[in-house]
Order: sequence, then structure tokens, then C-alpha cells
Amino acid sequence: MKERRLRIALAGNANVGKSVIFNQLTGLHQHIGNWPGKTVEKAEGTLHFKGYTIDVIDLPGIYSLSTFSLEEVISREYIVTEKPDVVINVVDASVLERNLFFTLQLIELETPLIIALNQIDVAERKGIKIDYKRLEEILGVPVVPTVAIKGRGIHDLLSKAIEVAEKQASKQTIIRYGEEIESRIQRLEGALKNIRLRYPARWVAIKLLEGDEYIEKEIREIKPEILDLANSLAKEIEEIHGHPCPTVITSERYEAAGKIAREVQRILPIIKPSLSERVHNVTTHKIMGYLIMILVVLGILQMIFGFGGYFSSLLSDLFYRYEPLFESIFGAGLLKEIIWGGLIEGIIANITIALPYIVPFYLILYILEDSGYLARVAFLMDALMHKIGLHGKAFIPIMLGYGCNVPACLGCRIMETERERLIAGFIVTLIPCAARTVVILGLVGTFLGIWWALALYALDLAIILILGRLAFRILPGEPTALIMEMPGYKMPHLKTVVKQTWFRLEEFLKISFPLIILSGILIKVAEVYGALKIISHILSPITVGWLGLPEVTGVILISGILRKELALILLASLIGTTNFQLFLKPLQMFIFALVVMLYVPCIATIAACIKEFGWKKAIIIALTEILFAIFIGGIVYRILSILNLLEH
Amino acid sequence: MEMPLTALKEGETGVIVSIKVGFGHGKCWGKGFQKRLTDMGLTPGTEVTVIKSAPFNGPIEVYVRGYRLVLGRGMAERIIVEARR
Repeated sequence: MKERRLRIALAGNANVGKSVIFNQLTGLHQHIGNWPGKTVEKAEGTLHFKGYTIDVIDLPGIYSLSTFSLEEVISREYIVTEKPDVVINVVDASVLERNLFFTLQLIELETPLIIALNQIDVAERKGIKIDYKRLEEILGVPVVPTVAIKGRGIHDLLSKAIEVAEKQASKQTIIRYGEEIESRIQRLEGALKNIRLRYPARWVAIKLLEGDEYIEKEIREIKPEILDLANSLAKEIEEIHGHPCPTVITSERYEAAGKIAREVQRILPIIKPSLSERVHNVTTHKIMGYLIMILVVLGILQMIFGFGGYFSSLLSDLFYRYEPLFESIFGAGLLKEIIWGGLIEGIIANITIALPYIVPFYLILYILEDSGYLARVAFLMDALMHKIGLHGKAFIPIMLGYGCNVPACLGCRIMETERERLIAGFIVTLIPCAARTVVILGLVGTFLGIWWALALYALDLAIILILGRLAFRILPGEPTALIMEMPGYKMPHLKTVVKQTWFRLEEFLKISFPLIILSGILIKVAEVYGALKIISHILSPITVGWLGLPEVTGVILISGILRKELALILLASLIGTTNFQLFLKPLQMFIFALVVMLYVPCIATIAACIKEFGWKKAIIIALTEILFAIFIGGIVYRILSILNLLEH
Repeated sequence: MEMPLTALKEGETGVIVSIKVGFGHGKCWGKGFQKRLTDMGLTPGTEVTVIKSAPFNGPIEVYVRGYRLVLGRGMAERIIVEARR
């Protein structure tokens, strides 16, 4: 018998347990990447069930199918263009009304549908009981109650999904709007009749009344006069209701969702506030909330960087122990230099960054996100983050940036829109990480005093503040604002968290491994053949002329891209002493540290940027920051020379 | 009495009258933002209860349509409600 293939898409709101269901379904056969050309994550997996090979795709968590975010556009385009055999709509039973608002839109898209009524245990604890059979009748869509974290209902869900996929006829109930809207939808539908559309005609008619930009653009190319009709019909509805037409339609859809929710759910009074409720009150308290947050943040930093740092040095010690052995086999010549210095050190760099830092980072990030604590941090830090043109959620990546830019970059994905993600990406790569702190403290802190080191940090903060605000004003798009569901606290599903960590680590390594090794070998070869000296000489108008640094710093700045903490070690080996004041004037030290702080973070961070933002944007970020560092370095050099604060 | 959502105290309930679009805070709050809020269930006629206000002019947490939603201050100021006392 020939194996049959099916495609299932998971769709639903955020925080409904969609990714847990995805992980329960697909197990270890997953691929995590980005949607082509987008910064939105795409998770795919495969499973075998009753003789079927089923490809599952986890669509992003969204609240509507309009065009507010890329996620919404991607989801509806996928459903319409790729036509999955069945869409599983994951619904949070404890927030039925808002979830059904989304379900009704999926029904309007006329896609084969089945509902996973998830978290029924959470709903029951909130005193909500749902008559799912009745829900099934009203919607004309099969409903399977599930408790995904316990694996309950997953088997039924799959069986039902296959049933729906195989059976073509659908008896879904499309909602009816008020008469004054319904008659206008029909008029538009009539006008659209002779046009070949990718979407159902009724859906296009509704979207035109809602003023959907994407659909308007598509129709304008085919038959622009339909837009005029849509506009005048929308105006009429606006006059009847006294609200903008999109608002009227959304309202009616919500009313319909609310009516269904009220009909199928029974709400019992809850006797005492739940534990989740009490924890929520403490963690958002105006004093206790901040205290707890500081403790949590310190704990995270300690876990990622304390533990990570320890583990990282342990690993690299282990590797470097084999260097003499290696030398005894290959000799100490050119071959050893290139193989060990380029290839092996690249592998070491990958392993000593990836394992100790990225693994705990992802684990913690997912635990923070799944448990619901991330939302509380965003709530508490929103006012502050607005000062740099971002909102509360950006606090986590920015804070992580002080430890290491790599996880910080990877963490930018918690921002909602492409625009916010890019601003956050720019800002976190400007934050001095632990490696840059080594340079700042080792050079400026040791030889010029702690105040000059702090001045560097202050300068960095000022730069971030100005750039963030500038980006906020200049970049097109809606103003950054926090609109976020405050989910109830819940236990994260550990198996899902571990799997999410594993597959993202894999994705990161795929980019970073070749990149780090290749650039390592390249720089080593250039060094061995004396090309770095020549490049330094070519760069001397910038390093010597503009920045006032010794020519040899060119070599260090180039090699520093591999690992910035090596910058000082390299400098010491080039000048033959660690007493840097013999070689660098105080002002030169300050400028050198400033440039090291600002110019592109290490190659691993660039790899992280590529994973999150794609090649093009990663290169733009890297180049901008190099130019920016040189520009600022030269300006500060001249200002400080004139002020004569530091010996030069 | 009509007022912005931010004028309600913790525990007070209002019914949404409208969402103001237009210029403010250095940016234009357009139709997209209005659509986003209504998509989250903040449609005219809906009851909203303020649960908590974050310090330092931070966001507010509201209860709407059976769930809790956090809204940035600038946005919440643009939601006009009729207070229910």
C-alpha cells in the first residue's frame, strides 16, 4: 500500500499550549528555521500515524487574521496558498470568547478545521465547564478536549484530524453579521463573482469592508472599481453605526464569539483566589515585584554566566591540554599554526560558547516565557524601555546583552513586530558583554582608574538612548506599544522546553560552526603569511590618522572579531608586555577600549544575527556598527584632546 | 462621564465608547492600532475593569472579555470609556 501524506497546520492564540501540542505530535522529528526572508520562526515536524506520514507546521501564535503583525499575514497566506489538509485550531478553554473570535475567522477562510479544546484542566480550576458537544454542533467543527501537557486527547485529536482531512464535505457554520452589513457583503461578493481569487469571495468582501491593505492592493491590480464600491459601502455602515466600519465588523464578530461562549460554558463561582492569582499579585507589586525581579535577573545572570563561565573555562582547559600533544604530532610549524590556530580553535570557540551559554539561556528563556513570568517583567519594565523606543519585553534581551550578545540577539524574537526586533537587535549588539568588560576593566579600569571605565559605560548608555530614540522616530511603522495578554502562571512543560532548546541550538550551530571556523582559518592564514600587517598598514589612515592609535591595533581589531576578550592578550603578545602604559598613552587606551566596545560584536554574535534576521540585515547591522564605532571613536578622540583631560 | 481608560482607578469598571486615532507621542496612531485593540476584544460597548497600574507611568492591566490584558500607557490614554460606578 502506498503511504499517504497529509499536511496539518496548528493555529491559535499565543499562550494556549500550541507548542506543547506541536511537540507532543512531532517528537524528535523537527526542523526549526525562519519563514523565507522573514524574522518569524517556522517550526515543522513529521510524524507517522495509522499508515499516514503527516507533516505538521506550527503557525505563529496570533489573535486575529488581519495585518497587524507579520505573523498574522504569514499565517493566513500559508492557509490560503499552501492549503493544508486540515488546520488544528488550538483553543484555550479558559479564555473561550477571545479564542473563538479567532476560530470564527478561520471558519470564514473556509479551511478544513478541527478544534483542540486545550487546557480544560486550567478552565475547570477557574470554575469554567464547557459543553464541547454543544460547541461542536454550533460551529459545525469537530471539537476534541485536550490537556496537552499531560498528553491527554492527543491521540483522539490526530484520529479526528485525519478523518476531517479525508472527508471533503464541510458543514461549518459561517457567522452571519447584522442585516445592514450582510446585505453589503453580498453586494460586494456579487461584484467579485467573475474574478479569479485565491481566497473565498465572501472573505475577500469582508476584508475589503475592513479596509485590509493587502487585499485592497490585490484587488486594485485586478479591478480597481471594486475598491470604490467597497469604500462607499463601508462609509454607509460607518454612518449607520457611528463607528469605523472595521470596528463595527470586529465588534459583531466578537459578539458572535461571546454568544457562543456563553451558550456552551458554565461558570461556577470560585471559592478562593488560586495560587497563580496570589503569585501574580506579588510579582507585579510596585515594591515586591521589583525586588523579586531583581533577584530573578541576578539569578539568571548567575546561572548563565556564572555557571556558563565556569563550564566554559573548564571545557577550554580540557581542549588546550591537548595542544602540546597536537604539537608533538604536527610539529610547531605552519601546519600546526593553521590547523590548531584556525580549525581547532574555531571548534573550541563554538563548543565553549554554545554549550555553556546558549543551552542554559534557551532553557531559562523558555521557562520564563512558558511560566508567564516574562509577561510580568514586561509589565514592570515597560515605562523604562520606552525611553529607548522599545517596550517592556525588550528588557530581557537587553539585560542578557551585558553577559553575552549571542543569547541577547537570539532573545530578540520575543518582540512582536519586525521593526521592534530590528531595533532591539541593534541595541543589544551595542551593549558591552562580558568579553568587552574584560577589555574595559583590564585596560581603562586598571590604568586610568574605575571612573574612566564607568565613563565608558555611561557613554555607551547615552549612545543607546540616543540611537534607540532616533530609530523609534525614523523607522516607519506604528508606534511601539505594549499590547500583551497577561497569561495565568503555569508550570512550564519541561519536555517541550528541552526540545525547543535542542532544536534551536542545532539551528544556531549550523550557522555559527562554519562561520567561526572559516573566519578563524582566514585570519590565521592572513596572520601567518604576514597579510595582517599589510592590512594594518592599509588601515592606518583610520587607526592612526583618525583614531590616533598605534598602527598595530589594526591587527588586534581584526582578530578581535573572533573573540573580543582575546584583544588584550593579543595586544600583550604583540608588544611583549602586559604593562600597556609603556605602549599606549592614556587617551589611546580610552579610545581603543571605546572602539572595541562599539564595533561589531564577535563573529558568534553575527551568526546569531544571521539566524534571527537573515544574512542581509545581519551584514547591515555589522557594517553600520563598524562605521559607527570608527566615527564615534574619532569624535571622542578629538573632543578629549581639546579638553586635555587625558595625557596624549 | 466620558474619560480616558487611564483615569479609572484600580478596581473600577468602564464601558468603551471609542478609540481615538491621530497624532501623539511623536507618532501617528493610525487605523492599524485601532484594529489591533479591537482585535484583542476592546470594541465599543465592552466592559473593561482596571486591575493594576504599573509604577512610573507604566502600562495598565485590565480585565476584558474573560482575560487579562496589558496596555501601554500611551495607548490606554486613547481608549475613551464611560465610567460605571
